Amino acid sequence: MTEYQVSLTGLHARNERTIQATQDWERSRINEVTLKESFDKDCESLVELQRRVGAKYITDGQMTFAWQDLFRPISSGFEGLEPGPMVRWFNTNTFFYTPIVKGAISSDGNVLSKVIQRRFVDHGSSLKIILPDPLTFAELAEDRHYGSKEKLQFAYTDALREELRALSSLGVKYVQFSAPSLVYRLKQKPFTRGGLGQLGEAVRNALKGTSLRSGFYPFFGDSSPYLPELFDSIPTDEVGIDLTQTDDSSLSSTSKGIIAGLADSRTTYLEDLESLATRVEDVVERTGTKTLTLSPSADLRYIPRVSADEKLELLGRLRARLSRGSASPKARASRRRAK
Amino acid sequence: MKAFPTQEIGSLPKFGWRTKPFRQMALTDDDLDSAKRWGDLLQVEGRTDLYRTLSKRYSFTDEEKRAIVDYSLLYAIRMCETAGRGLAKEPGLDLVWSGEQARTEMYETPVSNIRGFEFVGRVRSFDNKYWRMASIRSDPKYKENYHLQELLFSEKHAKRKLKVPVTDAITIMAWSDNNYYTGKWAKKAGLPPAKRGFSARREFTLELANIIRRVIRELIEEGVEEVQIDIPAATQYQTEDDIKLVAESFNETTKGLDATFSVHSCFPPNTGYGILFPHLLEMKKCERFSFEYGNRDTFERGLDAKARVGFEDLKLFKEYGFKKQLGVGVIHIHTDTVPSVEVVRDRVLYSAKVTDLPPENLYVNPDCGLRTRRPEIAQKMLDLVVGGAELARRKSG
Repeated sequence: MTEYQVSLTGLHARNERTIQATQDWERSRINEVTLKESFDKDCESLVELQRRVGAKYITDGQMTFAWQDLFRPISSGFEGLEPGPMVRWFNTNTFFYTPIVKGAISSDGNVLSKVIQRRFVDHGSSLKIILPDPLTFAELAEDRHYGSKEKLQFAYTDALREELRALSSLGVKYVQFSAPSLVYRLKQKPFTRGGLGQLGEAVRNALKGTSLRSGFYPFFGDSSPYLPELFDSIPTDEVGIDLTQTDDSSLSSTSKGIIAGLADSRTTYLEDLESLATRVEDVVERTGTKTLTLSPSADLRYIPRVSADEKLELLGRLRARLSRGSASPKARASRRRAK
Repeated sequence: MKAFPTQEIGSLPKFGWRTKPFRQMALTDDDLDSAKRWGDLLQVEGRTDLYRTLSKRYSFTDEEKRAIVDYSLLYAIRMCETAGRGLAKEPGLDLVWSGEQARTEMYETPVSNIRGFEFVGRVRSFDNKYWRMASIRSDPKYKENYHLQELLFSEKHAKRKLKVPVTDAITIMAWSDNNYYTGKWAKKAGLPPAKRGFSARREFTLELANIIRRVIRELIEEGVEEVQIDIPAATQYQTEDDIKLVAESFNETTKGLDATFSVHSCFPPNTGYGILFPHLLEMKKCERFSFEYGNRDTFERGLDAKARVGFEDLKLFKEYGFKKQLGVGVIHIHTDTVPSVEVVRDRVLYSAKVTDLPPENLYVNPDCGLRTRRPEIAQKMLDLVVGGAELARRKSG
């Protein structure tokens, strides 16, 4: 019997009130206290929604000034790093500041604990933190120190390990490594099995000595060139597949949990519930996974907040639908024909 | 032909007195002072009429609001035409525009004037910068020419050659929520997921290209000689099919039109502009590519690759045998920190060195539109463009 969970996978869209507050703050119309109140309320409403849809691991949506992009607390807080030029974040109309590696990377383990919303841990939620995986960090950073992507991956995860230990001791339960660079290869060839193994070791290095449950989620691309090795090479409890980019037929049996990126985070178009249910059952049938996390295909920051929340609610309905039982005979027949 | 001619890229900041009347906000003393200070500085003709109108401070009539927009166009034109005063012997940009003062911004104006779109909310682009996303809910249809009035006014008042920026189909597609075409293609069985996504993007883009062609044709009929096709999203979708679509969309948009066309793009992924090659060169009617480079450069003087690291990508044009014109972005526009005029000069000279283009084929401009800066900073940036180009001209003889 497969357990179905729901989870967010990245930075969430800010609501209109918070957006306005950030703009008012920039124009000195409100002070920092009022701005923080807006972020806090926004965050609370998102946490409430996640509870309502039955999410086991809750994120704070990374809705603070610290998370202006996925790298920012790291590039601003770790020794040896600083934020550099602004570049496009993959194939989106969003941008990030390139982490510049100007010296040896290190952390005292107190950087990320300052930017998570600890009050949700204190209130009994299982908090999940989402971080760049070592490969994406190494691919997107501008390295002026190590001269080798391999060294950079391990230096990053050495520093990250200190952070994860501290987060674990504070009660954070889950870490997801976001790994778009693995599958967003375009003209570049996929990484070799050796490269994948090295990435797995870097992830293992980050997780050493922590009791956090973990996930690894490559999105914005097709995972099929890495299957089935991806499941075995990456030492996390769960491995994700962006199903808006990857065909189900490439999936095969695994003992790992699967993060299924089903709801397209790049459009407000709401997927048909029955079609999604059929697809999930197909994934379960092909993989035999015991835990499947229903997720958006990527961060839900690429569409407005109302639509982002609708996507999450859809995943909640999908979970309820799947927990009730299998898809309709018509849907099953349609799936067989598609195969 | 002049060496290192200068141009703006499109937008200029809007003054408080231009925006507040449309937000039902009362003008402050600062707004009135700013109108006077800039009006006097730029010697804007008829400015006392504007001051009189603004002195009302609130409850402007529609006619008064139209006059305020017209004055903002005039301020922008004069800002372009006087840029570089005090820094250059020959102030003024060679190609000017009215700063997109009549537009909400480069995306919102076209989608507000094409049928089939609905605004769905704001989306964050970076930091605390957002755009108002529109969702396509049916086939897009031409509604009206959304640039005609600003063109007619600008043509009447500009003393220098105009270049009209027009947002292209790829950008409108990429910044919109592709709800309608995603749904349409989701129903087509048998296609791999990525192919379905591309098909939805292509159909949407080419429908838009037809509408934009009509908009430009009507501008040309009113005397426009030069059009800048704005494709900031050229490097957004990066598959080979998508890059080919950028060129296809440009060719569809300009099909059968007779004008000088240039293309502007900016802020590529960390792999740079290389992803656009060679398909970029299939844009047959494009005379000039104006890209952003200052963002990634150092503030050191020098003509070596280390100091001019931000301009390395320009080598691509030489490698592919490009012989037409380039516009090089020499000022990063997302910070108030500006380089010295000597650094701007060196950026221009280095661009000439690595492209091997004759200086008259190398335009100098800010990285992108300046709408996010305060007017004082925007002016300083335009001054540096004109001043840096002039120093480069002197140095290169």
